Amino acid sequence: MSGEFPAGLIEGVRGLAARYPAPQAALLPVLHLVQNERGHLSTDDERRVAALLGLPPMKVHEVVTFYSMFRRAPVGRYHLQVCTNVSCSLAGAEALAARLEARLGIRMGETTPDGKFTLTGVECLGACETAPCLMVNFDYHGGLDEDKLEALLGGLA
Amino acid sequence: MMTGAMVLTRDFDREDLFRIETYLERGGYAALRKALAGLSPAQVLAEVKSASLRGRGGAGFPAGLKWSFVPQADDGPKYLCVNADEGEPGTFKDRYILAHDPHLLIEGIALTCYAVGIRTAYVYIRGEYEHIARRFEAAVEEARARGFLGESVLGSKFGLDVFVHRGAGAYICGEETALLESLEGKRGHPRLKPPFPAVVGLFGRPTVINNVETLANVPSIILNGAAWFVEHGKPKDGGTRIFGVSGPVNRPGIFELPVGASLRELIFTHAAGMRTGKTLKAVIPGGLSAPVLKADEIDILLSTDGVAAAGSMIGSGGVIVIDEATPMISVLAKMTKFYSHESCGQCTPCRVGTAWMHKIVRRIAAGEGRLGDLDELIRLSENIKGRTLCPLGDAAALPILGIVRKFRAELERGMR
Amino acid sequence: MPKIEIDGRTVEAAEGATVLKAAESVGVAIPHFCYHPAFAPEGSCRMCAVEVEGSPKLELACSMVVREGLKVRTASPAVREARRSVLEFFLADHPIDCPICDKAGECRLQDYYFEYGLTESRFAEAKERKDKKVKIGEKLILDRERCIQCTRCVRFLAEVTRTHELGVVERGVHSEIATFPGELVRSVDSGNLVDLCPVGAITDTDFRFKTRPWFLKRSDSICPLCSRGCNIVIDHHPGIPRVPDSRRIYRIRPRENAAVNGHFICDHGRYGFVALHRNGRRERIGWAPSAGADSAPPWEQALDFAAEKCLALRGAGKAGRIGVVLTSQMTNDELALARNVFVRGLGAGTVAFADPPDGPAAGILLHAERSPNRAGAAALGFDLRAADPDALAGGTDLLFVFGTNILAAHPFERIQAAFGPIRTKILLTAHETDLSRLADLILPVAAPAETSGSFTNADGIIQRFEAAVVPCGDTRSAADILAGLAARLGVKP
Repeated sequence: MSGEFPAGLIEGVRGLAARYPAPQAALLPVLHLVQNERGHLSTDDERRVAALLGLPPMKVHEVVTFYSMFRRAPVGRYHLQVCTNVSCSLAGAEALAARLEARLGIRMGETTPDGKFTLTGVECLGACETAPCLMVNFDYHGGLDEDKLEALLGGLA
Repeated sequence: MMTGAMVLTRDFDREDLFRIETYLERGGYAALRKALAGLSPAQVLAEVKSASLRGRGGAGFPAGLKWSFVPQADDGPKYLCVNADEGEPGTFKDRYILAHDPHLLIEGIALTCYAVGIRTAYVYIRGEYEHIARRFEAAVEEARARGFLGESVLGSKFGLDVFVHRGAGAYICGEETALLESLEGKRGHPRLKPPFPAVVGLFGRPTVINNVETLANVPSIILNGAAWFVEHGKPKDGGTRIFGVSGPVNRPGIFELPVGASLRELIFTHAAGMRTGKTLKAVIPGGLSAPVLKADEIDILLSTDGVAAAGSMIGSGGVIVIDEATPMISVLAKMTKFYSHESCGQCTPCRVGTAWMHKIVRRIAAGEGRLGDLDELIRLSENIKGRTLCPLGDAAALPILGIVRKFRAELERGMR
Repeated sequence: MPKIEIDGRTVEAAEGATVLKAAESVGVAIPHFCYHPAFAPEGSCRMCAVEVEGSPKLELACSMVVREGLKVRTASPAVREARRSVLEFFLADHPIDCPICDKAGECRLQDYYFEYGLTESRFAEAKERKDKKVKIGEKLILDRERCIQCTRCVRFLAEVTRTHELGVVERGVHSEIATFPGELVRSVDSGNLVDLCPVGAITDTDFRFKTRPWFLKRSDSICPLCSRGCNIVIDHHPGIPRVPDSRRIYRIRPRENAAVNGHFICDHGRYGFVALHRNGRRERIGWAPSAGADSAPPWEQALDFAAEKCLALRGAGKAGRIGVVLTSQMTNDELALARNVFVRGLGAGTVAFADPPDGPAAGILLHAERSPNRAGAAALGFDLRAADPDALAGGTDLLFVFGTNILAAHPFERIQAAFGPIRTKILLTAHETDLSRLADLILPVAAPAETSGSFTNADGIIQRFEAAVVPCGDTRSAADILAGLAARLGVKP
């Protein structure tokens, strides 16, 4: 999605800004809001957010490039994020990642040609008791053996 | 999933625990009522101080003492930041509190703010906990609607607003000053201390930053008293703690135990021991940043002093169990990748050193280890330790030193 | 005034001073990269770490405030080891570009390495590869491999100019300095970034690859491009034994003056000064081409000619037909001489000024008034009225024009038409312009770096400076020329 922010989004941004004594403090929540609606954050989006919050664009860009969750390029409809940290690794995260790569025909960091799946590696998701963990968009899935993974992927329309 | 002394987690099995009706039915918000009815803020603070409640986020600093650093003479705005960033690998306990018992946390927040004279609290929840954050926001709305938050809490002169603020994927934002920077809408670059947040914190104002679990303990302290709390744990380290156990054990999950419980018991009784065919090799007792313990070093007590005496730290209570079939080089590789990926990049030793160490370890893991590599890792760790702007440097150096020193023979065998 | 101990020496430190400043005040230099007196302490380079009694870890001198009884050791083995280690970390990824890097010879990393490092590199991995030629400003190039992330550049644009044009992007070892995508640093104070950068990460295209700092001599001076009067250092090749060449001025840099320009200068002055001295110089005396006479008369002959014309008119009681266009780019000495010669000595009818046109005040320093000495001229009694070509045309038979600023105020055709009827025009200038075509006699005048004198800035501060270089060709200072004229006219200089 591109182009100027629709009125509803602008209102959302203003609402967030109102919870803080300084508008800059709303930046992370605002970027989440914009990214959730637009799919990712373009350079123009950064400018628009900067203008709405009264910030130099550079400050927005600095933040977008610092935090792992902010995406500067579009991702597939389902963003499959595999935890690659120790506990998940102990439970077979590498095998899970390899299975996903083989199943989807893409490497880590890539998106399927039909734009349905993007596969990335992430750090600890805070769900180590259900390792190995996979986050699909914002949904946590754990303990995925081959069958459960197949069922999960099959269920993603 | 939970065994042992249950104070925090006692009703976690109930599906609807997060609703305010359920919380009230269980006696929730009684501590807040008690405080507002008959205790001064100073009395609440004193009670928490006497309870010897230590921070549950990783640093273990006594909570009441931290609160007392906030200058009371200053009557401008003060803030509470709840550290719900939970980024320490191996840690997942705060997720349970946020998801299952948000009102327990809200009550803890309210009591803390009352004690310190704070009228605005921000709950900094890691970005990945999106659904949990939404549910927590709904709980905040419920609390406000019932008068437990807002301009006049339970009709008193004490007013409090709680806002949820989400992070966006940066482990460093679990460090208190980086959290403040992030809350102010900036990159998560830790600040120089002094000044300390209690004096100059969020938006330059006096600020208390506490972990979720730390605050979740406050209602029971106020209801039952400091002595009760200390008795549950150890002197100077009171109460119960929620430990998370992960790795090849039969029952990974959270376990609430008294401070000072046995690590061996946690793994082999509560977590039901190693899975079939797996033998214990090593344990990381307090989240990834805690130096490793060998299999024969786990007869220790899970208290701040107990784990420190063993050369490690209780940290966030995230216990990671490692089995014989796991090569330590692969643990080292994950570790070095994590710290170099999460280094904010501000200060020289951490920015350059963590990446340098990861390059060495990656080479070793790929079968291209060279004579002197392990000594080099030790040397680099010693050059990072104690020399960085924030504790992430130590969090990287100490565990790496631990593995290299304790598993040297194994690492050398795996190299040319 | 807390009493502290630095390396065993008792020092009375200023209240609220940092350990670094206190040490500096007694001549103990503590090495640092990210610290700069114009910004708040950053504490990220870790180079300034010192030993403090009672503290288990090393403390940062740049941010630690002194307190009574503090005992500091700035050169203990622990401190030396920490410094060596910081340098080693920097040099792990830093490319050893010294042979092709402009900063060699004035680079902090080089200097500190020789003083505190001197170890073999133990880094045996692949260095991070980054862009080495990123255009971040019209004249600024960033080499990201050389960058040590001290963030002075970012903080200058955040805390001093407040334009926020640079930032740190990405994270960890992948951090880099960048502008907003597609943008450049446009601040009129951007050249300061080159001076601020402790290594050769930010270089400017004017100076890039042109010379080496160890070939340069530094001379103190004052910038003449606006009425702020920033204190500067002129970096030039020494005139002897090389052949004097007006292009031997390579750059200027700020000189600290808390009362005038702080630590910085603006780009208008920084780049304008060098251009003033290098581009389009007029260095030969000359008659108008139409005169047909000897095209490069010696000074004596030229001054005789000028004096004769003056005396002729004065003798005929027509001194009022003498006109002079001065400029407040002249020093106080020169303007005083001009007053004594033209006003008091000759009684010239028209004494006017042509100055560079005002521009917008911009950034932290640049004044709207683009001339260095209007205050000085006013203090000498001049009313600084602007030169009007038509008025000059009607009322002047002999016209002296100092400088070529009149070209900026009026179209050339108008000046040409107005000057036509004036019988004798003598132009004194440092630059070759269209105006030379209109003059009967052109006298090459020294540019500011070749002149000694003083300017009075907009705040009334009088600042003296000495000539940095010897003028080239026939060039003489306006003071010399006026003194020569005064002598021939029998006027007290």
